[in-house]
Amino acid sequence: MAGPLSVSLASYVKSSRTLTKWVTPIANWYADAAGYRKYGFKYDDLLVEERDDVQRALGRLTTREKYDRAFRLKRASQASVLHAPLPKEQWLSAEEDNRYLRPHVLEVAKEDAERKLWDTIKVSRK
Amino acid sequence: MLATRVSTAQRLARSFATVSDSAGIRVAAVDRNQPTSAVTILVKAGSRFESKPGVANGLKNFAFKSTAKRSAIGTVRESELYGGVLSASLTREHIALTAEFLRGDEQFFVDVLSSFVTSAKYTRHEFEEYVTPLIESDAAAAAADPATHAIDVAHALAFRSGLGASLTGPAHSSITVEDIKSFAKSAFTKGNIAVIGSGIDQTLLAQLVEKSLSSAPVSGAASSSTSSYFGGETRVEAHGGPQTVFIGFGTTGAPSAELAALAAHLSPEASIKWSQGTSSIASAIPQGASVQAVYLPYSDATLVGLLVQGETTADVKEAGKAAVDVLKKAAAGVDAEALKKAVVKAKFSAASAAESRDGLVSALGSHVLAGTPTTLEASLAVFDNVTASAFTKAASGLLKNKPTYVAVGDITTLPYADELGL
Repeated sequence: MAGPLSVSLASYVKSSRTLTKWVTPIANWYADAAGYRKYGFKYDDLLVEERDDVQRALGRLTTREKYDRAFRLKRASQASVLHAPLPKEQWLSAEEDNRYLRPHVLEVAKEDAERKLWDTIKVSRK
Repeated sequence: MLATRVSTAQRLARSFATVSDSAGIRVAAVDRNQPTSAVTILVKAGSRFESKPGVANGLKNFAFKSTAKRSAIGTVRESELYGGVLSASLTREHIALTAEFLRGDEQFFVDVLSSFVTSAKYTRHEFEEYVTPLIESDAAAAAADPATHAIDVAHALAFRSGLGASLTGPAHSSITVEDIKSFAKSAFTKGNIAVIGSGIDQTLLAQLVEKSLSSAPVSGAASSSTSSYFGGETRVEAHGGPQTVFIGFGTTGAPSAELAALAAHLSPEASIKWSQGTSSIASAIPQGASVQAVYLPYSDATLVGLLVQGETTADVKEAGKAAVDVLKKAAAGVDAEALKKAVVKAKFSAASAAESRDGLVSALGSHVLAGTPTTLEASLAVFDNVTASAFTKAASGLLKNKPTYVAVGDITTLPYADELGL
């Protein structure tokens, strides 16, 4: 349960139109208020990466995505050294905050689950 | 004696399949009542058809990775549960995807094979995590073996493009998963695929194929420019392996029985272990050197040659001289006894190759893809028509061409073509 992506109600919320209408502004406000965008991060930069599955997912990024991620991490560390957020024009906009890593993490998790299933499967011949 | 011969011929004739057309895909099956079955999907997508160097090898190594139906690990584990073996192989003409399994499991394995053909995903991460290491190890293995390397280089010299394309591709290739995907899309079409079964009933196989492969796109067979023979000489520096020289001659047109007989005549390989072969090359080569006859027939060209290997370059030079000498003598004509021996030797190796599963696929493959029914008897009957004059004509015609000469090893001391009398 305590995966890198944690527990999410997003799919449930999205399935209901009323809920989506109510929750979306709060979600957008929350993501902005969390402050990571002020340091130029995308949400997926914050995923716990000290895990085998996330490491494998990181390996599946394109060269460009890997480079951009490393750049954001370096820029943010420098901002952290300076004890100040980035200048406002370098803040990440909500549109740029895409989930570039999430699909890969999900796919790796799915593969791991399948491997576990095959490792523990009980076979009966028809 | 004669009676037994006749009955063998009849049995063999029956054991070759007729080609049936199932949903636009040609299917042939041979059932010799083995306890196991094998199904091969033969695709006209060998290295001669590839769009970029190494793409065909990439596609071969992509075999049995994830498809719309099951993941790569699912394919492996499920096949293991059935006790089957999956394999993929690449030649200059074809890619063969083969499943071998116990009788009765054909439904599952035909589905595994056909789901790769129709719905493989070709994901980028699988290419990087699993396929690239395989491509690299293929290239490294081919480069490490001087004989393989010499023959690969010889093809490039002899045929340049098309058949000249290397089987493994370059060691550091720039192919991407998109290249493989588009090559697969053009290759896996109905006109380009044949299904060959052994140990399986023809109608059953045709049924299964119709069910699972009918969704393959319809398109004509792949075409590559007709081969032409060039020849030439090259020298490749290599360390570690035996000193190697390949002396070859190529010709275009359909492969002929005369050239197979020539290769059999030249081959110094002994029929009995630890003894000396009866070819006159065998007695002339020094201890520590070896000569192998190489006969590589393709749909529209043939490469016949001698692969000379030895510990030292001096040995190779001596053995090479002897081999070239015998080759030239053979082109001038052979006596009736030697011709008879060569013909039966060639016939035996062709017949015994067709006994094995791989041999069956390579013997049947091109006929099935072309939709021309054949029998083993017919493919062996051509050997009976080899006459001394046809043999001499074929051999001397071959030697009129420019030789293909490849030296792999210590190139400072390995002989040049003219030093061997070519």
